[in-house]
Amino acid sequence: MVTVKRRRVQFAAVLILTAATAGLLSQFVLGGNDKVKIGNGSVSVLARASKAADSLPQSVLDYPFADRNFASPRGDGSRLLHVEGTLRLYAVPGKGGMLCLVEVDDAAATAGGSCADRRILLTGSIFMADRQEDGSRLVVGLVGDGHTYAEAEGLRVRVESNAFVLRSVAGSSVTVGSPTAAQTIDLGG
Amino acid sequence: MQLRIRRRRAAVVAVVAGLALALVPVAGATSYIYWWQRNMAPNGMGYDRMTAHNHSYNELYFGPNAGWSSEVWEVTPAGYRHFDKRCSGNCFNAHPRYYLTYAYCSNRDGSTHFVYECMDQW
Repeated sequence: MVTVKRRRVQFAAVLILTAATAGLLSQFVLGGNDKVKIGNGSVSVLARASKAADSLPQSVLDYPFADRNFASPRGDGSRLLHVEGTLRLYAVPGKGGMLCLVEVDDAAATAGGSCADRRILLTGSIFMADRQEDGSRLVVGLVGDGHTYAEAEGLRVRVESNAFVLRSVAGSSVTVGSPTAAQTIDLGG
Repeated sequence: MQLRIRRRRAAVVAVVAGLALALVPVAGATSYIYWWQRNMAPNGMGYDRMTAHNHSYNELYFGPNAGWSSEVWEVTPAGYRHFDKRCSGNCFNAHPRYYLTYAYCSNRDGSTHFVYECMDQW
């Protein structure tokens, strides 16, 4: 009788141990691409000396978004990340630990912005994906130090000044990465 | 005689100009908040379908703790989708007033999140 009880206790202990081990493995080892971390979340372009071109256009500062999200009403600390034709990308310090990516296209007379907690840079990108009239997407992103490329459907572009631009993306995901690791950004359907 | 005709012409031009200025809509932006301080389920939609407008701005604001996928877009009464932007976190899209549209916003993260507001301007 005592032996049967002991065996039951042993069996329960093994069961609990197995469940705990499986839980830990799935959490820390088999976490999938979303858990891959690159860099420490720092964005070195924000530390470079400011130039006149780094200032945000007044039209962007006038939007309600600026007042709610930017750390200062004037968008102090913003940096011009990338210029491609008439498209310009800026990084802007945000409120409460957020960082913002702002895009301005003078020719199209459009502007957009995305602000998120900086911690998102460890596991991916602060991005915007604009659906074009042909159904493809223009994807622009801000990534932390350590990221060297962005890629979609085999087309790879270099990350420069913590930013990337991918045009005509037909799929629902983009990969950003370093020489040793890669992260998947889900663009949705 | 010629002086009288000139004065009449000037008066007519002034009246026409005055009427034009009075009747043309004011160019200032009108804002409307269509989603206000609620939890938004994954892929749940907020929308402003009160009246279609020539929109120039659409915004979703989770709050200062943003970090989840979001989307703002517009749809014409005929069902055509325009100015569709996905973001990571708080999101805005400003554009010329090309189309008469309804405005939409959505939380595109896999779980429910509190959204402070979605707003549009025209």
